[in-house]
Amino acid sequence: MNISHRPRRAAWLAIAAGAAIALTGCTADGGDPSTAPAIDIPFGATTPAASGPVDSVAWMLPAEPATFDFDIDSGAAENTVFANVCERLMAVQPDLTTVPHLAESAEWVDDTHVVFTIRTDATFHDGSPVTADDVLWSMQRHAAEGADESDEYANVTAMEKTGANEITVTLAQRDAIFIQAMAGNGGMVLNPRVVEAQGENFGAPGTPDACSGPYTLGEWKPGTSLTIEKAENYWDASREVLASEVVFRWADQSAVVNALTAGEADGSYLDSPASAIPLQSVDSVSLAQGPSTNAWVLLATERGALADERIRQALSLALDRAGIAKAAFGDLAEPSKTPIGSGAWGYERDAFEAAYEALEGAPASPSASDLEAAKELVAEAGAPDEPIVIASDGGSVRNVVSNALVAAAKSIGLEAEIATIPSAQYGDFYSDAELRGQADLFSDEYYISKNDPVGFYKNGASTASVNFVGFDDPEYDELVTQAFAATDDAERAELAIELQRRWVEATPWLPVTQSPSTVAYSSKLTGLPSSAAYLYYPWAADLGSSQG
Amino acid sequence: MTTTTADALLTRTGLTGRRRDPLFWISTGFLAVVVLVAAFAPLIAPYDPEAIDFAAIWAPPSLAHPFGTDQLGRDLLSRLLLGTRESLIGPFLLLVGATVLGVAIGIVAAWNGGWIDVLLARITDVMFAFPGLLFVVLVIAVFGEGPATAVVALALAYAPVIAKFTRSIALSELARPYVDAYRVQGVGGGVIAARYVVPNMAPALLGYLVVLFGEGLMGLATLSYLGFGAQPPSSEWGLMVQEGQDGIVLGHFGPTLVPGLAISAVVVAVNIVGVRLSERMGARA
Repeated sequence: MNISHRPRRAAWLAIAAGAAIALTGCTADGGDPSTAPAIDIPFGATTPAASGPVDSVAWMLPAEPATFDFDIDSGAAENTVFANVCERLMAVQPDLTTVPHLAESAEWVDDTHVVFTIRTDATFHDGSPVTADDVLWSMQRHAAEGADESDEYANVTAMEKTGANEITVTLAQRDAIFIQAMAGNGGMVLNPRVVEAQGENFGAPGTPDACSGPYTLGEWKPGTSLTIEKAENYWDASREVLASEVVFRWADQSAVVNALTAGEADGSYLDSPASAIPLQSVDSVSLAQGPSTNAWVLLATERGALADERIRQALSLALDRAGIAKAAFGDLAEPSKTPIGSGAWGYERDAFEAAYEALEGAPASPSASDLEAAKELVAEAGAPDEPIVIASDGGSVRNVVSNALVAAAKSIGLEAEIATIPSAQYGDFYSDAELRGQADLFSDEYYISKNDPVGFYKNGASTASVNFVGFDDPEYDELVTQAFAATDDAERAELAIELQRRWVEATPWLPVTQSPSTVAYSSKLTGLPSSAAYLYYPWAADLGSSQG
Repeated sequence: MTTTTADALLTRTGLTGRRRDPLFWISTGFLAVVVLVAAFAPLIAPYDPEAIDFAAIWAPPSLAHPFGTDQLGRDLLSRLLLGTRESLIGPFLLLVGATVLGVAIGIVAAWNGGWIDVLLARITDVMFAFPGLLFVVLVIAVFGEGPATAVVALALAYAPVIAKFTRSIALSELARPYVDAYRVQGVGGGVIAARYVVPNMAPALLGYLVVLFGEGLMGLATLSYLGFGAQPPSSEWGLMVQEGQDGIVLGHFGPTLVPGLAISAVVVAVNIVGVRLSERMGARA
């Protein structure tokens, strides 16, 4: 008897619980947050200026930093922290332009020689001066084989101290973006005495920083928190440093959103604009967006179905980018015609903008004529023998992108299917040819550290390591070489625009959306940059109180 | 005396007893409807379940979309209806595979005894000791993700459970006089097992297998939720839960709740029917 009663009781309980949940669900959906008018998020390089300093700020990162030895590895978490601690020869500004910093000047003296003049008043956190010898030592460390930043020095054949405060870099060929690259981690100047004293431990928890920036590395409790503190003896007395201390913690994006909503964190540069959607209705949180070079793209692989560029062009014509921007990012991202964000337009902006507007082949939403054109391309090329396979990791953005691509393929008579790859394995697409053999396309958010489109379009050269689909155009290769040699901005912009046109035409990667940099911060704070400059610019120094 | 016992048994376990069990009939009726829905889903679904409509993202329930839409503007009712097929066929196939394998192992072990029984018992013990989900993930890691691999992997994981159960009831069945009688007549072991022993064990097995069907449905839904089973744009219910979960933080519970409740309802109904059948059939046997 007892046995026969148990399932009955359990069933009624389950039905009652289900009904309760269903009612809750109906109520929630009935509220329909999606139909609430979207709040306009201000877009610009910075947030409004702060009116005063703040003591301690709790900041969320997407992950715990792995190391602060940037020659080993670096990502968004490490850069967000050490943008405030370390300085570089050149400096990225909130509007993503670069200016000389620890180098007073950087000049091309001829086609293959750049001279950096090092300023004499800068000091490291231990009080020792930043010298030309320290700069040379740092550059040689970054350029060493296997160092994470060594690609920035690919064209460098020699570096030497040619004066008391002068470093001369010799390049095999003119490299127009080399000076800009020195605003990234490749131009970071380290204190050799600190680095050598720490040996292999350098960059690990418990070791001091070897930098000269407005903040010093404080306590790092692995797995818990990391603190940076205002440097008392910062060499640039004219630089106002507003936040006294920033305590970093880390969590996945949903936990970051919860921490911001609950007021347990004061801010975070969000991993994805999509994370800002639930924060739009939180009164205590301000949101801002700014330019970045980030763009979501679909990278074609060597698997075979997309070997014919007409099939890639057809897919690009049929892809509903505006729909993806709406579904995956709540309209906080923009449909993109190019595989790189407009934040890369660091010079000749008007020319780039005009060229962007004129681009065809990657519509925001496919029109009837786009679909007709796409079908004609498919008819000319012939459909691939096997279905096109797009990789997803089941994450929200990739799920939307991959489903939209399948829909685009079907709309023009192509077969496509989705293969789910574990998130932890997804990054291996760049390095694992066997994994790329499982999918014709994989989606990713791509960005470059330099605000120069040439720095991106080199990826279309026939020898580029990420040109997986084998796009091979000798004229394109020649244009890349010419663009790298063009130190005149107008000339380089012209070449970059031609590269951009050819890229969009050949579509080795399909552009999807541009993702602006998105920051969420307490309404009591303001002043920080909202652009992607936070990865290299000391944003905490500008972060202060919003109330007088 | 005999008549009285038979009447009592009929009253307790037969048609009369089940008539007094409305939950059993409600569950059976519900499952019958679910099966009919699976059979006729393409005819009754109002929309193409994979049709994306970016103009109707996260739409609340309405006349046009009675259950609302998901992140891609796909009609949840249509996805739920079409998803019934994959969500039911998967557990059915895995159960068929696991039953064939498990019953064969269980009968062979019980029939032969000795070292074969010991060997098969140790193999099934090892399988028991190995966490089921870990085993399934291991199989998927070797053969690749997808609904077919998930079904095979779960079938392999369930086979030892069925083998153990089969062996226990087969031992008592084989001890019955009719088995010896057939042996004396020279009927072969395979024929006795296939024609007489298995059919006699079927009632006891049936209820157990029905309960396992519910577990299989949940197992496959779990694998799809984890990305190992059904692949997008499939509307398998576990995958629907996974795809809908991003809406929770935005207040859109429908895309998760609708398939979640469907899984719960079917599993509860299957369990009720399975347990009732086990009781009745077990008692009758």
